[in-house]
Amino acid sequence: MSVRAGTTSRRRLIGWIAIIAAVVSLLAVSVLDQGGIENDAERMQRLSESYACPVCQGQSVAESNAEVARTIRQQIRTEVQQDATDDEIRDTLISQYGGEVLLNPPAEGIGSLVWVLPVLVVVLGAAGVGAAVTGTSVLGREASDEDRRLVANARGSKPVALDHNEASTDETQDDSDSDSEVVDDEEE
Amino acid sequence: MNAILGFTCIVVGFAASVLGAGGGIVALRTGRTDVLRTVRQWAWIVVGAGVGAFIVMEVALFQRDYSLTYVSSVGADDTPALFNFAALWSALEGSIILWAMILGLYIGAMLIKFRKRTDDELWGWALVVMLAVAAFFFGLMLGPAAPFTQTDVPIGFEGPGPNPLLQNHILMAFHPPMLYLGYVGFTVPFSFAAAALITGRVGEGWLVETRRWAVAAWGFLTAGIVLGAWWSYEVLNWGGYWGWDPVENASLLPWLTGTAYIHSVMVQERRGMLRVWNLSLLCATFSLTILGTFLTRSGVVESVHAFSDGGVGPWLLVFFAVIAVFCIFLIGWRGDRLSSPGSIDSPLSREASFLANNLLFGALAFVVLLGTVFPLIAEALDGSRLRVGRPYFDSMSRPIGLVILFLMAAAPVLPWRKASNELLSKRLFWPAVAGVAAMAGALLLGGRGFYPILTFGLGGFAGGAAVRQVVLASRRQGWRGFVGRTNGGMIVHVGVVLLAVGMAASESYRSDETVVLTPGESAVVEGRTFTYVEPGIENNDRVTKVFAEIDIDDEGTYAPAITNYVRIGATVATPSVRTRFTHDVFLVLDDLPSRADDTIRLRIVIRPMVMWLWIGGGLMAFGTLLALFPGKRRRGTEPVSEPIGKAGSAPTSASSTAGG
Repeated sequence: MSVRAGTTSRRRLIGWIAIIAAVVSLLAVSVLDQGGIENDAERMQRLSESYACPVCQGQSVAESNAEVARTIRQQIRTEVQQDATDDEIRDTLISQYGGEVLLNPPAEGIGSLVWVLPVLVVVLGAAGVGAAVTGTSVLGREASDEDRRLVANARGSKPVALDHNEASTDETQDDSDSDSEVVDDEEE
Repeated sequence: MNAILGFTCIVVGFAASVLGAGGGIVALRTGRTDVLRTVRQWAWIVVGAGVGAFIVMEVALFQRDYSLTYVSSVGADDTPALFNFAALWSALEGSIILWAMILGLYIGAMLIKFRKRTDDELWGWALVVMLAVAAFFFGLMLGPAAPFTQTDVPIGFEGPGPNPLLQNHILMAFHPPMLYLGYVGFTVPFSFAAAALITGRVGEGWLVETRRWAVAAWGFLTAGIVLGAWWSYEVLNWGGYWGWDPVENASLLPWLTGTAYIHSVMVQERRGMLRVWNLSLLCATFSLTILGTFLTRSGVVESVHAFSDGGVGPWLLVFFAVIAVFCIFLIGWRGDRLSSPGSIDSPLSREASFLANNLLFGALAFVVLLGTVFPLIAEALDGSRLRVGRPYFDSMSRPIGLVILFLMAAAPVLPWRKASNELLSKRLFWPAVAGVAAMAGALLLGGRGFYPILTFGLGGFAGGAAVRQVVLASRRQGWRGFVGRTNGGMIVHVGVVLLAVGMAASESYRSDETVVLTPGESAVVEGRTFTYVEPGIENNDRVTKVFAEIDIDDEGTYAPAITNYVRIGATVATPSVRTRFTHDVFLVLDDLPSRADDTIRLRIVIRPMVMWLWIGGGLMAFGTLLALFPGKRRRGTEPVSEPIGKAGSAPTSASSTAGG
């Protein structure tokens, strides 16, 4: 039995290594085989998606049919053909239409808050979840010795400890509940 | 006549909800059960008043009763019946009627469902909260959003009809009611949560009672959002389905917190943990529906959906603040009863994965809320005017979405309490193979790019895990393997995967070009030939439609148009879209054909797999239905609904320690 279990798990380990290798190489192909650097049309599309049509309600220059959006699209096209850098195009447009022409808030001044705050929230939240799962009792209260003794009395047996190995064999018990994992025996 | 009837409904509805809520509070505080029973009668009157106001307004719309200001602003003699029916929710005042009516229907459903619980305190307080919310909305209709005011119109007045964009697609008849059913539906679990806090019965009882209500509301909200995306894709002229518009964001926010809630609630049912967190999520969901309504109905943020400000803005903001303070106060007040027994044993467990789910959905909700209100904050803080648009939301939500997909693969195979690596590697193996296959398949079909390919891979992984669960469950339980929360939920997951894949493909592999054509001329885009045959015109009393006949080599004839709504004098571009399983062609005219030689500027958007979005959305709604069916019964011995705080809370902690 243990020999068979051993070969199964070794075979599965090899399978997982193959899966990881496949994922890495497929992602590599998907990135490298894109036809090299961005061409003018793609650059034009990307840029016009990042500027707001000044007279519309939150639409980008790329999406809008408004006259001014067409003018800006044309302007971006001209500058792209003249090989202006992204920053140059940005500065020109801001000087003409003001900071509101940017659809992406600038990462400076007060605009940087909108980028920094979510990162902060995720980091703090992750720390909270981390504390919760590593047993630092933020969200829950540990059972006290008193509780354990009560359980033991009720069961008329020795005190129950929080035994993690026991927990992982919980599947049959889990199985009796509709919300839980199904038995896996049949998979093998 | 209609004005008097309608006004009476609103006054009666307001009075009954105030009297019912007030009487309920008195009865519950003094323990007078005879008074408490009268609250039911008041509640039924509120139900009748909400439905009555709705019917009166519909009747007025169909009678073309222009003596009502509202009808004279959205009604017209020749609006087709369906759009005339939908005209009720095409402006501010009517949309509040719809809200009140749906709230009434939910109150009615609660009265029927809990009819045997007349003397129960928890139920009593829940009803009081529902009636208090109803009082607010009926109050709005008495003051700032009065729908039944009267006006004088000249003889022969034929009405303007609703906003042109709201009367040219059938989805307008379904999207708003669905959305409102979702929005308003969250009031029910909220009212029970508030009642649990007020009575101090903060165990799991209230939660088990309302979990189906929450799931149903979530399903309606999901359907409403997807239908809205579909509507905007078919009707608006920009060729997209989601623009991170403030109103879209406002509907997404409660959906995100609601999604977090219906997941984390399982941790509480099962392990008795996360009590404060679940209450907070419900409070957040409910108050976000109000905040969203405020944002979109007050005109503080610019949006394509914004109705004119009828003065409801400040009221909604005050109501939002009251709810927020009320919730924070209640949770703080009952804080001592909310500590929960047990803790999370291992990061590799179902409950830990639900926590991670909550973190991600919380983060996404925060990003969406921050991005939506940030222009206001920035202007208030230092007067700078800036925008937060699509590129910001895209770049923030994409990584979060990918981690959510990963979690959707891992979480369903995790057992409660603790999993071993061995178990995980066994259960995740075939889903992982499915993910690799999806990536390889996409590459073979010509897909490239890091984000889309990774999305397909994770989608295959998550889809594989969901299918695995349903297959194993149905093998053991037959047809019951498809119903119940776990299995229905897995069908929802498959829908989410289709949605994510469709989104990644249709955004990443989109082509969008504008061509200028004279009649008879052709252009080749993406290997397809687009021939401009000739312009044409269709006329009737209501609209003048100038269209361009476009032949696409193997796909037949399209007719994008510019439609002029004669009565309103408004002109909108009407796109011509055909949806196919693999790709969509979306044509829209920039302008009327030029007078000189009929030249058109034609925008051609080709996107793959847009249909997957609608199939995914449909599957999510269908999965929600399956999830509402009772699954296999729980054992009665489980400590899910035991009130805590009694008998030193020993039994509760004991049973959870014992590994239940």
